[in-house]
Amino acid sequence: MKDLLWLIPALPLASATLLILGGRLMSPRIVAALGVGSVGAAAICVLLTVLQWQGAPLESQLWTWMQVGELSAGVSFYVDGLTLVMLSVITGVGFLIHLYSAEFMAGDESYARYFAYLNLFVTAMLTLVMADNLLLLFFGWEGVGACSYLLIGFWHFDAANGAAARKAFIVTRAGDAAMALGLFLLFAEFGTLDIQAMSAAAGERWEVGNPTAVLATALLLGGAVGKSAQLPLHTWLPDAMAGPTPVSALIHAATMVTAGVYLVARTHELFLLAPPTLLAVAIIGLLTLLLAAFAALCQHDIKRILAWSTISQIGYMFLGLGVGAWGASVFHLMTHAFFKALLFLAAGAIIHCLHHEHDIRNMGGLRTRLPLVFISFLIGAAALSALPLTSGFYSKDLIVLAAFEAPVAGPWLWAGAVLGAFLTALYSFRLVFVVFFGRTNTLPDRQPGPGMATPLAVLCAFALVGGWLGVPVSNVFPEAETGHAALWVEVISIGVPLLGLGLAWLLFLGRGLDAGDLVASPPGQALYGFWHAGWRVDGLYDWLWVKPYMGLAALLRSEPVDRLYGAVVGLCRLLHRALSNSQTGRLRQYGTVMVVGVIVLLNIVWRAAG
Amino acid sequence: MDGLQVPMEHVLGLASLLFAMGLTGLMVRRNILFVLMSLEVMLNAGALAFVSAGAHWGQPDGQVVFMLILTVAAAEVSVGLGLVLQVQRRFQTLDVDNATRLRG
Amino acid sequence: MSGVNWWAIAPLLVLSGGAVLLMLLVAARRDTPLSWITTALILAAAALSCLPAREAIPQAVTPLLMADSYALFFTALFAICGLVTVIVSHEYLGERHGENEEFFLLVLLSTLGAVTLAYANHFVALLLGMELMGVSLYALIGYPDKLELPLEAAIKYLVLSAAASITFVFGFALLYAAVGVLDYPGIGAALASADNPVLLASAAMIVAGLGYKLSVVPFHMWTPDVYEGAPAPITGFLAAVSKGAIFAALLRWWMASGLYELPGLLTLVALVAGASMLVGNLLALLQDNIKRVLAYSSIAHMGYLLIVLVACGLVADPHLAKEAAAYYLVAYSLTSLAAFTLLGLLSRASGSKELASLDDLTGLFWRQPGLSLLFTVALLSLAGIPLTAGFVGKFYLFSAGVAGSLWGLLALLVIGSAIGLYYYLRMVYRMTLAGDAQPAAVERPGWPARLTCYGLVLAMLYLGIVPGPLMEILRTIL
Repeated sequence: MKDLLWLIPALPLASATLLILGGRLMSPRIVAALGVGSVGAAAICVLLTVLQWQGAPLESQLWTWMQVGELSAGVSFYVDGLTLVMLSVITGVGFLIHLYSAEFMAGDESYARYFAYLNLFVTAMLTLVMADNLLLLFFGWEGVGACSYLLIGFWHFDAANGAAARKAFIVTRAGDAAMALGLFLLFAEFGTLDIQAMSAAAGERWEVGNPTAVLATALLLGGAVGKSAQLPLHTWLPDAMAGPTPVSALIHAATMVTAGVYLVARTHELFLLAPPTLLAVAIIGLLTLLLAAFAALCQHDIKRILAWSTISQIGYMFLGLGVGAWGASVFHLMTHAFFKALLFLAAGAIIHCLHHEHDIRNMGGLRTRLPLVFISFLIGAAALSALPLTSGFYSKDLIVLAAFEAPVAGPWLWAGAVLGAFLTALYSFRLVFVVFFGRTNTLPDRQPGPGMATPLAVLCAFALVGGWLGVPVSNVFPEAETGHAALWVEVISIGVPLLGLGLAWLLFLGRGLDAGDLVASPPGQALYGFWHAGWRVDGLYDWLWVKPYMGLAALLRSEPVDRLYGAVVGLCRLLHRALSNSQTGRLRQYGTVMVVGVIVLLNIVWRAAG
Repeated sequence: MDGLQVPMEHVLGLASLLFAMGLTGLMVRRNILFVLMSLEVMLNAGALAFVSAGAHWGQPDGQVVFMLILTVAAAEVSVGLGLVLQVQRRFQTLDVDNATRLRG
Repeated sequence: MSGVNWWAIAPLLVLSGGAVLLMLLVAARRDTPLSWITTALILAAAALSCLPAREAIPQAVTPLLMADSYALFFTALFAICGLVTVIVSHEYLGERHGENEEFFLLVLLSTLGAVTLAYANHFVALLLGMELMGVSLYALIGYPDKLELPLEAAIKYLVLSAAASITFVFGFALLYAAVGVLDYPGIGAALASADNPVLLASAAMIVAGLGYKLSVVPFHMWTPDVYEGAPAPITGFLAAVSKGAIFAALLRWWMASGLYELPGLLTLVALVAGASMLVGNLLALLQDNIKRVLAYSSIAHMGYLLIVLVACGLVADPHLAKEAAAYYLVAYSLTSLAAFTLLGLLSRASGSKELASLDDLTGLFWRQPGLSLLFTVALLSLAGIPLTAGFVGKFYLFSAGVAGSLWGLLALLVIGSAIGLYYYLRMVYRMTLAGDAQPAAVERPGWPARLTCYGLVLAMLYLGIVPGPLMEILRTIL
């Protein structure tokens, strides 16, 4: 099986190449078959690998580009339990979303381009998780970033989409820069970027709390925060919803945005040596999950609600990482991929059937009109809210309990997480009640076809029972101490989502409290506006970064810097002319130059020797 | 050793002078034939230096190299004269200053 | 001479025997295709004879020659380059009327000179190899004797090259006067104790002589004229084999004699290297003639290569630097050979006699997509774009420079490469422009030439994508 590992990223890559080169000549059927089939085949390869897996990490050296001095660059894969989880999610969920896309995007004039980008994304993401060294990982990391950019701006004829794509690219770039610095630092420190070798060397060379370790992990965390849309670099994700909905499901919910979680988990041995960074991970996670949950509560755009909820759920994963619940975080990553992909695909189905309507205030009463979508959405929301027995319940519960047992500020972290769980249930069921119950505002003009229904059904099953699948990561991470929390802690953790559900019932089905009244009151209005704008972080950044940058750009419009470059170019031209004129083609002059050259050399030697 | 002993430095000095003369000829003569002759002068300056150095160290190597240089010079000149013939035929002159079509 | 295993110099024997054979053949029967095939077979046999020769090394064959893996490696490289030149020359000579058999004989002799240089371990072998290679090249450059440009190029090359050789000989005479030995190891031993002002002069003159052959500043003036005037295959041969052989010989001498101990020599080489990188690239910058652009860029490439010599003199363990030099030479030889060959083929295929100016390239991509693509790869490799041999070579050089802490030279390398990017990509850009709607009469080059070009380009890409095997070989033999 080890010899077939290379096939996993190679299949989508081959398909992407074909689609880019010849996509225009192919009929849509062939394009879809190629795009969906390649990811499906990759998924089968992953399945075979999982079935034959013995528990030991698989290593596969594919190609060493070059080895000069200490630096070795090449393609080699390292596949352990963690990687397998990621591989299964990427190819499995990825396949379903490709299948869904085949119908969702039907009739789009850039059908082949869409599948080429999507396949390319899958390739890059697979490279990212299979890489055995940070250099290759970074390559995949930038690859997914580029594909994300291309897909957010897929409908680039609308300027707003282009702006959203640029924003995503630029904001994540800030994180990537930090990450690149971290890589340089680690390479300077250990002379290798091989993750396993580096982890081993770090354990020997650094004691816990070593300042270099803290700095290096903090820089890596910068990259993770950018890619996973955590505070303070979370602002790009809600805007990224400008892309096609399946893209949001695959890239901006199920896979790419969890790359930051993967990075921290993959280098956990470094993070364990840097407790301050680890604490920062937990705090970032907690703040993000709360902030995003409040923001999700006050959105109207169905995709933006889901986007904020994604940020919030990744906050849970970060919290889990920060408190050392590695396995639980990866578990939540997997279940989240199931139910969030389900929610996005269901939302996509609604949008598809409602003539591109995004605003939930214009929806309502869809329970009977789109029953399959309703069931899917209900299951997804239940799992998102971590209602008992759904997949989200198992994973989130583990994280919340681990937070309680965290050595530093455990109860506080727990309380925040529980508040977040309450809010999650509240906004999830607000969505369900507003969209599917009440008065019908817009009539759907079609029903999702089999290509969209099948992925929904499969994902429903996974969102329900995915919690019973284990994640085989016990060999990857250090054993967590499993103390049993007090009963009241467990009861509250389990009960709070039900409370949220109840409140949502009261508020949004109009049986008691009226949400409209709450919002209409002056403090309510202020808070609503504030949260609707995502805590006005965008405004803050606009004022803090964008405005000064624009000002500087305006200042430089007279091109003082360009003039400097112009001077360099002019100098080069001048020197070129002068030197060219010396090439007169006269033999005797050439001879003279040689003689002068010899004399000059003699002079230099004479002087050098004193 | 009997007879006149010339110090190596003097012979090297003479060789250098010959070499410089040859170089000067290379720079100032316009007729290719004379340029080739200047090259011969330079080559012989090198050969002379080798002979004197060989004598100084009491080795036959210097003279062996001299023979070798003679051979090399013969080869160079034969090809050189062949080219001179062609130059005369194409350009109707032996003035090297006329051959300046390749430039820039 | 008892106990000599003749296998150790098998390539030399094959080449010289082959030259005699070819001469007899031509005397008996003038038949261009026959002598073409014979020459190709002899060169292939010479390259292949390196394989059995490996069993007999290392061995000193007379004090003049040193048969070791270094010699065999470069012998194979030069023989292959010679073979490529011969194969594609047939295409070039195809339409020329008259006697072409001697052309192949001259290539054979010139390659023999280059191989001698790879083996040279003594002044006499060095001089012999250099002159054998050089004198054959005079004739090769001026071979199309009905044309004016080759003749002008030949006369310039002859006069200046001879002057440089003589300067080198004179410098060596001074060295001999100072140390009293002519073989490399002996020179090394004597240099350690010698302290003579004559040494200073000899160092400067030796640098001048060899610097001319490598075409580095300030001995570079001849390069563009000769490159432009010579037939395209011979220009490629000149760039790949002639410079490569001189550098290989210089590197061996440099290491075997510890030449960098000569006072002031390191400074000289560093200055020459820096000036070459800068001047070469600047001269190429806005040049309109393609062959001249490549000529000027070759000046810069030789400047890059000289970094290695400086690094060798400064670091305790010169292995990395030697590997870098060898890798760069292989990459550069293949690439420049491919570039000039393709230029020749493209010229023929485009109908015009020679693609001369940059304007002739306009739209070439649409008229000759296959060959243009190959030419583009060669240009990218020269520019040092990743995944080509040129990039790996440059990266290797860079590492060697870093090991020697040569920050000034490395800065010039980076600046030079940046300028280089401009003029290489300018050519690629020109080719992709929309050109004349009406293509000239297209003439497909023969299959041996096309196959050779594909082989060269594939080798370039292979060395860029999978450089590991060659690096491993270099590591074991150097």
